[in-house]
Amino acid sequence: MAARPSALSTRVLLICAAIGVATGLLGGIAGWITPIVIATAPMLYGLVLGVHVLPGIIAQEVVRLPWVALLAHVLAALVASATSPQWAGRYIGTALLIGGIQEGVAALTRYRSWAPWRFFVSAVIVGAIIAVVVALIVDLGSFAPWVQAAYLTISVLGPVAWTAVGLAVGARLRSAGVAARR
Amino acid sequence: MLTSVGRGLVSPAPVIHANGVAVRHIDADTPVPAGASLSAHPGEVVLLLGPSGSGKSTFALTLNGLIPHHLDAEVTGDVVIGDAAASASTVAELSSRVALVFQDPDAQIVTARVRDEVAFGPENLRVPLAEIATRVEAALRRLDLWERRDDDPDILSGGGRQRLAIAAALAMGTPAIVLDEPTANLDPAGAAEVFAALRDLASAGDHAIVVIEHDLDELVEVAHRVVVLDATGRTVADGSVDDVLRARAAELDALGVWLPAVTLAALRLQRAGVPIERMPLTAAELRAAVAAAPPIDATADAPSSSAARTPADASRTSPAANAVEVSGLTLRHGRDEVLHDVSLTIAAGEFVAIVGPNGAGKTTLAQAIAGVRRTPRGTVHVRGADVARRRTTRRIGFVFQNPEHQFVAPTVREELAYSLRGRSAAEVAERVDAMLERFDLTAHATRHPFLLSGGQKRRLSVATALIGGADVLVLDEPTYGQDRARADELLRLLGDLHAQGTTVVVVTHDMQVVAEHAERVLVIERGRVIADASPAVLFADEPLVRRARLRVPPLRVAFADLPGQPALSGVMRLADLDAVRGTTVAG
Amino acid sequence: MTTATPIDASAPTVIRTRLGLDPLTLFAAVIPASIGLVFTRDLVVPLVFLGIGLALALIVSRVSARVLALLVLALPVAIVALALLFALWVDPATVADTRVAVGIAGRDLTVGALTVGAATALRLAAITALLFAAGSAADGPDLVRALVQHLRVPYRVGYAALAALRFVPRFARELDVIRRAHRVRDAAAPGPFTALARGFGYAVPLLAGAIRHAERVALAMDARAFGAHATRTEPRVARWHRLDTAVVAGGWVLTVAVFVVVAAS
Ligand SMILES: Nc1ncnc2c1ncn2[C@@H]1O[C@H](COP(=O)(O)OP(=O)(O)OP(=O)(O)O)[C@@H](O)[C@H]1O
Ligand SMILES: Nc1ncnc2c1ncn2[C@@H]1O[C@H](COP(=O)(O)OP(=O)(O)OP(=O)(O)O)[C@@H](O)[C@H]1O
Ligand SMILES: [Mg+2]
Ligand SMILES: [Mg+2]
Repeated sequence: MAARPSALSTRVLLICAAIGVATGLLGGIAGWITPIVIATAPMLYGLVLGVHVLPGIIAQEVVRLPWVALLAHVLAALVASATSPQWAGRYIGTALLIGGIQEGVAALTRYRSWAPWRFFVSAVIVGAIIAVVVALIVDLGSFAPWVQAAYLTISVLGPVAWTAVGLAVGARLRSAGVAARR
Repeated sequence: MLTSVGRGLVSPAPVIHANGVAVRHIDADTPVPAGASLSAHPGEVVLLLGPSGSGKSTFALTLNGLIPHHLDAEVTGDVVIGDAAASASTVAELSSRVALVFQDPDAQIVTARVRDEVAFGPENLRVPLAEIATRVEAALRRLDLWERRDDDPDILSGGGRQRLAIAAALAMGTPAIVLDEPTANLDPAGAAEVFAALRDLASAGDHAIVVIEHDLDELVEVAHRVVVLDATGRTVADGSVDDVLRARAAELDALGVWLPAVTLAALRLQRAGVPIERMPLTAAELRAAVAAAPPIDATADAPSSSAARTPADASRTSPAANAVEVSGLTLRHGRDEVLHDVSLTIAAGEFVAIVGPNGAGKTTLAQAIAGVRRTPRGTVHVRGADVARRRTTRRIGFVFQNPEHQFVAPTVREELAYSLRGRSAAEVAERVDAMLERFDLTAHATRHPFLLSGGQKRRLSVATALIGGADVLVLDEPTYGQDRARADELLRLLGDLHAQGTTVVVVTHDMQVVAEHAERVLVIERGRVIADASPAVLFADEPLVRRARLRVPPLRVAFADLPGQPALSGVMRLADLDAVRGTTVAG
Repeated sequence: MTTATPIDASAPTVIRTRLGLDPLTLFAAVIPASIGLVFTRDLVVPLVFLGIGLALALIVSRVSARVLALLVLALPVAIVALALLFALWVDPATVADTRVAVGIAGRDLTVGALTVGAATALRLAAITALLFAAGSAADGPDLVRALVQHLRVPYRVGYAALAALRFVPRFARELDVIRRAHRVRDAAAPGPFTALARGFGYAVPLLAGAIRHAERVALAMDARAFGAHATRTEPRVARWHRLDTAVVAGGWVLTVAVFVVVAAS
């Protein structure tokens, strides 16, 4: 009979895409802060950057299945790349990085634990890796020690804060009866 | 599996044969439908009717295997497609036998170009490119879309997009097509386009067609057979249009099946004692039946229009009592000017309908009136106060087309209380309780608004608008995408509010709603008010109706200028028929 | 969406960018340079790659005169601004050249700090320019097809993304309506925290509507046999040509050359 790999049913694929696109649009609203942040308190940029964890968190909260975090990120990146191919490299790189980490942490618990602590573990790892990558690019080693410390803290805090937001949205969605079925 | 005897086809085997189908969704207690049967032969058009929630859509999904192969549900009974049981076939096999067309054109178009859209299905079936090209051309030509083949589906009209969905279904090369309310989301002109396409397909006779549809006025002439489900989703009638729709009209009406407006009118006349032998299904038939009947009386106390008209008429003379005044309003979306110098007045207590073609600016105007969209100073006044000068206007409530868009709180109670922020807890509790009671939502006070049924959501959004103290209510297409029962319930509610003095402004595409409820109609075309008249005057003006892509309601067509029956002449509201008395002639 | 192709073609169209390359070719060509740049600390390498990236972007994308003028004006301004910003954070103790160059925001900036800041800014600009140029020639949907086909991702993922492309304008309109609907009910004063709280309020209706819409579209796609087979008829296929290999090899050789030459001098 219809062999359907459960994680890749069209329904799950499109739900992930919808979550990716919708969070992208919501992130756009938060996006107006970005130039202000960069101009006034650039160190807080890590906080804004953390918004990129949302698709994976919400996807895992709404559809508790393997692959959904990575799919939500990758599908959102593919949609964005099709709209503006110039930025495809950026979109897809970020998606693989963040989605991969979120997926990896979920895989480590064999997709059995969906408790909040698990989401926060992946948030801290995402924050740490983003911090390292950005530190390399901006040559953090040459910066003043207080800058380095503040920068690292904020890079990790950003994803953690946004993960809390994502969990709250996911809880609201479930209480609204969205995608409770598999 | 054609049973051919001698030289002719005696009875071709049905393409679709479903018997005693029951479907239980995983989170439901009872199956709906609970025993649906239907068969469709090549060349046949079968109309599937049933009250809302009787499982018509669910049944349609079993016919090509999406249930249970792609949606979790428990199915019993037999579905045989061609010569194979649906349960033993894959969705891929079934998709080359039964094609589906859904209700919402926007939710079934997946590519960005008309011709890619039609090719999408055959590509999935691994049809060779050369054959796909032939199929695409044939399907597009048949639905009159070949000229539009390189367009983005987004720039087609609603009717055009639904025809595209039908072309995409045709290109699957299936012997059967099932359409689930293909015109439910379209304006009158778009629906007419789709009916014309269906008529063409039916007359070619090469497909078995099953149509689920509420708007029967045009379809009855095309359909060969009618299958009716009762509220539990059991097939209770299966026969020709004459045997089912005409002979059992009263029974179907009692079941909650949506019948043509003219049939409903005939049933009322019959109940009033007017002898009608053959139940009419079209305006022309009703006209003939009434003309043949003995003279009909209308009782003297006919509430020819709703009682609330009097205060409105009175207040129109004093400008202070105007609910809404718009003067010289010009609005733009980006660079496009959408409203050009619109001026109008709505008196307190009026029931006004705003109608017009898609994209005319109706929503923009309604939102401007309600303060949802910013307007230049001095252009919109509600109860004499300039809308642009105040951040929120509590005197006027706006009900969005999709009620979910305006819900801000996680429970029904908090949703209502949100509009009363800043008042004492006791007052809030008291007013919320009263509102819950009034709109029959008390039992749902602690539920999430999104978990309500469609009708309850709509009631909640109206309650939310009113609780802040609004006495002007603006509604954007309140019956769009709603089933008949919900739509009727809402319109009754609006009628009651109006009778109690609320000013009601409704944007709608439903001409029967206009005829039944509106005292005044504003016709908007390309950002201008091109007519401001009573429904009777508007529908008498045929060039205007055509220009604004409207449709004359069938009752009005049936009763316009009836020389032999002065009591009925010009009637266009079902409610008006309640006053009718047939001169009871025995036999 | 794509360039017009004759409808009666019985052979699939091969996907090519405006330069006659595969959509992924330029990405493959610039990736070593972008990664290498992350580890550089000098001024010259990023400057050279910024030049290459800009030149490539100009050749590859058809920019209008207005965009060009904007670029010529805005890019140096942005780089200088970023450079000053980074320079402000540099730990004065770690730089070698401590001559004071300028005084800014009440602080003296040393030449060393400025150099570090400029190098950082140029590095960011160079990486961005290279990736931007690589994507500029491609047609969006074709880029997605090529990615999926070359990287052997299941085609269903790529087509789901292409179908979801239609979500963007739809959800954007929806969000606009939701914002308007919430704004009329809300009398709170504007501010960053209110804005965040509001965004949270928009999330539930937007996502709920989005997910339900996605479910309906999925059903309609399944009804048309989407994903029924392991492969599908592809009207547009990605093929790797020898020219692509040559361009990638050229890019890599150039990358190595830049690094070696700069290191040697
Ligand atoms: N996916 C689902 N999960 C659970 N219940 C469902 C699902 N889809 C439909 N139902 C329920 O099955 C019943 C039949 O619904 P269905 O949509 O088939 O009715 P319908 O006759 O098409 O109604 P309408 O005329 O309103 O379109 C309803 O009670 C509905 O709530
Ligand atoms: N958010 C928007 N951005 C840009 N243009 C818009 C927007 N909303 C509406 N328009 C345009 O403004 C015009 C009027 O739109 P409006 O929604 O008021 O029409 P309408 O009469 O309500 O149509 P319909 O019957 O389809 O609902 C249309 O041409 C539409 O394309
Ligand atoms: Mg239905
Ligand atoms: Mg509208």
